[in-house]
Amino acid sequence: MRSLVRRWLPTILFGTIPGLVVLFGYLLPIEGLSDLSGYFIDWAVILAGAALFLGIVNVMGVHGGRIRRRQAGWPYSLVLVLAAAGAAVPPLMQVLGFFGAGASGPEVWFEATRIMFAHVIVPVGAALGGLVAFTLALSGFRLLRERRSLWAVIFLIVAVITLLGTTPLAGPPGDLAGDIGMALAEARSWVMGTLAMPGMRGLLLGVALGTVVTALRVLATIERPHSES
Amino acid sequence: MDLLADLGAIEPHVAALIILVVSGLMLAGMMVLRGRRGSAVAVRSLPAFRDLRNRIQDMAETGGTIHVAVGSGALDGQDSVISLGGLQTLEGIADATVAYGVPLLVTVGDPTLLVVCQDVLRRAHERRGLSGFYDPARVRYVAPSPPAYAAGAAYELSVEDASVSVLAGVFGAEASLIADAGSRRGLPQLAALANTQAIGALYGATDHLAVGEELFAAGAQMTEDRPQLVSLLVQDVLRVNLVVVTIIAAALALLGSLGAG
Repeated sequence: MRSLVRRWLPTILFGTIPGLVVLFGYLLPIEGLSDLSGYFIDWAVILAGAALFLGIVNVMGVHGGRIRRRQAGWPYSLVLVLAAAGAAVPPLMQVLGFFGAGASGPEVWFEATRIMFAHVIVPVGAALGGLVAFTLALSGFRLLRERRSLWAVIFLIVAVITLLGTTPLAGPPGDLAGDIGMALAEARSWVMGTLAMPGMRGLLLGVALGTVVTALRVLATIERPHSES
Repeated sequence: MDLLADLGAIEPHVAALIILVVSGLMLAGMMVLRGRRGSAVAVRSLPAFRDLRNRIQDMAETGGTIHVAVGSGALDGQDSVISLGGLQTLEGIADATVAYGVPLLVTVGDPTLLVVCQDVLRRAHERRGLSGFYDPARVRYVAPSPPAYAAGAAYELSVEDASVSVLAGVFGAEASLIADAGSRRGLPQLAALANTQAIGALYGATDHLAVGEELFAAGAQMTEDRPQLVSLLVQDVLRVNLVVVTIIAAALALLGSLGAG
């Protein structure tokens, strides 16, 4: 009985019932059920917010420990901790209303947060995004060097056609560069539409089936990622 | 031609129901046959993930850390089930690493995953009676945005001197940052992914790539959990039936268009 209460009751109460309510809230047009489903989704968002707090504690704990023990890369950890602490100041001030005696107080902190996002976080994120293009090109070269198979060659040819077909090489009709550009664009379109799309649909079909089966396992309490099996 | 017109008029939900009923009957038949033969559930083989357990055993002697990146999919978002697939893989790896005393480092890009991954690690220690060795700081929340997460996970992989890198969960093209860090260190890398952009990005960078629904198979192979293996069988039967239906539908559409012409 005790095992039943410890193992199954939390799973059914906090897993299966909310899961089924949310699922049927989408499927069945019953007003009360949709409202209840909405409540559960709101609670999930609040829980995710609480998890973010735990995440921040984790980041600070890991990097604080690294600084204390002077482990490899500790100066980077120091920069991270200082940057995180600095970034927390404007929103905290805004929420707490510090220096907010004047009417413009909260706007100043809001503006500081906006500047931080617009001039630090967004450019750094974009730079990382740009870096991805280089690492992809690098992995293409590595592929050719380390895994010289027919598939690797096909992969690279398709990648080159797709890349070049996307670039604006098109020129006036009769011009060589323009003709090559048009041919590449048509080749890209054929590769994407005729070869890649069916493959992608097949993959997505498999993922969808896997998703449905796993979700059913969770709802049927066969899969319990949050408790002992 | 009347038959073609009749088939074309079938409602999608009726077609789905027919596929489900046929799949159910097939599964029931297979279960009866298996019951008579007494054979175990056989699913598609992913040798890289099956052999990972042996590799972990070797690492117990040679030393080294296993890095598992579970991605940036939130458990309260639309990719939650993909993240659950990554968690299954992590569970299998955590069991093996705790059993052989190999250090495990887990990086996550979403705070909801942090809590669950810590729980997976804690339970793996509890199952072996090694609760005292559980260290929650071995699971690290890196960053909320996918590119920052990938860059941070690549850094952790280098700082912790990982010997094997596994990526299983929700990733985009930015996963190539983690794979690049692994390649520069010459690490064996395994990946189980569902996102087509990530699959393309990691095709050249990883040694073993489990794509699409194989993400769920990777977890099942690592844990060898019977319910997971049986659900893979269900997936396979459904998939085969869908493929057969798709081919029949395409053939009928072709016949229809030829007839109309």
